[in-house]
Amino acid sequence: MLNRKLSLSKRLFFAATIVLTAFLGLSAFSLNNAFLASADSSQKQRLKNYVYSLLTAAEFNAGGVAVDSSNLAEPRFSTPNSGLYAQITSGNDIVWQSDSVLGQFIALPAHPEPSEEIWSEFELHSGEAFINLAFGIVWENQQGEEFQYTINVSEDLTTLNEQKANFQRNLWYWLGGTGLMLLIVQAFILRWGLRPLYSVADDLTAIESGKSSRLAGNYPAELTQLTDNINTLLDHEETRRVRYKNSLSDLAHSLKTPLAVFRGEVENSHDLEAIQKTAHEQLDRITSLVNYQLQRAATEGKSSLLAPVSLASIIHKIVSSLDKVYQSKQIHSRCEIERDVHIHADEGDMYELLGNLIENAYKYCNSEVTVALFVHPHRIEIRVYDDGNGIPETARSEITKRGKRIDTQEEGQGLGLAIVSDIIEAYQGEISVRASHLGGACFIVELPNH
Amino acid sequence: MRILLVEDEAHLREQVQEQLQRQNLTIDTAADGEEGLYLGTEYTYDVGIIDLGLPKLDGIDLIKQLRDEGKDFPILILTARGRWQDKVEGLEAGADDYLVKPFHFEELSARINALARRASGWSSPIIECGNIALNPTTQDVTSNGNPIDLTGYEYRMLHYMMLHAGKVLSKTELVDHIYEMDNDRDSNVIEVFIKRLRSKLDPDKTLNPIETLRGRGYRLTLPRAE
Repeated sequence: MLNRKLSLSKRLFFAATIVLTAFLGLSAFSLNNAFLASADSSQKQRLKNYVYSLLTAAEFNAGGVAVDSSNLAEPRFSTPNSGLYAQITSGNDIVWQSDSVLGQFIALPAHPEPSEEIWSEFELHSGEAFINLAFGIVWENQQGEEFQYTINVSEDLTTLNEQKANFQRNLWYWLGGTGLMLLIVQAFILRWGLRPLYSVADDLTAIESGKSSRLAGNYPAELTQLTDNINTLLDHEETRRVRYKNSLSDLAHSLKTPLAVFRGEVENSHDLEAIQKTAHEQLDRITSLVNYQLQRAATEGKSSLLAPVSLASIIHKIVSSLDKVYQSKQIHSRCEIERDVHIHADEGDMYELLGNLIENAYKYCNSEVTVALFVHPHRIEIRVYDDGNGIPETARSEITKRGKRIDTQEEGQGLGLAIVSDIIEAYQGEISVRASHLGGACFIVELPNH
Repeated sequence: MRILLVEDEAHLREQVQEQLQRQNLTIDTAADGEEGLYLGTEYTYDVGIIDLGLPKLDGIDLIKQLRDEGKDFPILILTARGRWQDKVEGLEAGADDYLVKPFHFEELSARINALARRASGWSSPIIECGNIALNPTTQDVTSNGNPIDLTGYEYRMLHYMMLHAGKVLSKTELVDHIYEMDNDRDSNVIEVFIKRLRSKLDPDKTLNPIETLRGRGYRLTLPRAE
């Protein structure tokens, strides 16, 4: 095979790894986003709260603004360089600054309309980054004059950025750790899950090397269909091997008789005609033996792994072929087939079985042959009737005896029935003979059909 | 009666050819399917004997192609395997009978004669027209039971004419069916054979067994016995 398919464990491993990575990556991405968004929004909420507490603590008057620092709940406003700063501006003038500012920055430039918020980020010369909320307010004195002010609250971003970085680091550690652990677990699961397959492969190797003859292990349900089929195939092959071996040794043995007869004749007789006659007889015998054993060796035999073949179509083909061959005998042939049946059998075997059986009828009939096919729940019955001389009751059992070797058969009996009996035996079927309603013989073949 | 034998095994081919010639049958041979197809389409035959396992063109395909060409002479297939599937396939392809190797020569000869008879409407193994009877198996020809002595070609011609008794047969057709393809074909010889046959079959000149139809050919006038 040029392009060997990727192994199952590799497929599963790659697929699971890709899924895992994608899952963990997406989780990390969304967790990170969610955290950043929530950190940002809580920061903003905090700044807003500071603005509101400043509004509460601030007292506006004509001269300016006075903030009672003690009213500010946040001590960081009073601690210099605390990172949290507040400033109230009116136009470009600083009206008030929290103690924490300590001259660090000048009037902030944002001037939102009353009740408007302006968010901005800025950086000091020292490199510190800030987020600033500017909130516009308007104050009206008793005379009805309006004064516009801007409240700025700024917070150092360093803390927030540190928090974020911290979170991200933690996130990556955890997800990476989880991913690694899952991969290891997955590798174990794969090994465990695929172990029956490896054990089947090992068992097959054992069969190959002759250490075992079948798959005998206890396999999971998903594999039993496969292992059962392999066992069926092995059994089938074994039966066939035995049949080959038997027919080979039978052939060798059965050839010895005609050869011995021939040799005896050649050595003892000086009559050329007698030798010729013996030669003819023994050659015929040898020919039949070879034909018969060849057919026996070629018989596939019963196996559920064979593709189903249509018996009706084989019967029709054979009958129309024989009609042609026996044309001059003017035989009236009939096929009685209620419905077709497909059986798991070798097509060649079925041709041989039906061909020999039906041709026998054509040979021995006077003018009528009927082939009938019946389908019963678990078996198939084929009947071949003819109107010939029939077979005497005493000879019936003899003719269909199973496993009868051809060299023990009487002269004059064709090969046909011996082959038929052998094939039926290989399919665990039955053959019997009785008198036919047409006057001659009726051969009944029954084959199991599952 | 002219026969086409297509068989790749040289030994068997020569044996069969020799034995069929001994029976006074005209026989052409081919060693492979393509040669067989060429002969089969180029010449007219009374029977074809075709082996199934042929080089270049398989026996089954050869039969199919011959039938496609409209050649309807009867064909006997020879098969070494003797499997029913092969037999059925061959018969479905257009063959008329089969014989499994190895076979007795008598069996082959009987099958060929039967096929030729069947194709020309005879059913009994002995062909009888009027008082003349011809036995293709023994090549005995009798007139009212008395044997008639014929030469090989006279026999071949009478055999063919009796198979087609009542039909007008042209000189070319007669030449085609009694001579092998390699033979010198001189249709004038036909007249000589006819003359000799007439005198041997009807020495008293009372029956006129063969009539001459000017420009068309000859016809055996003796009535078929069946």
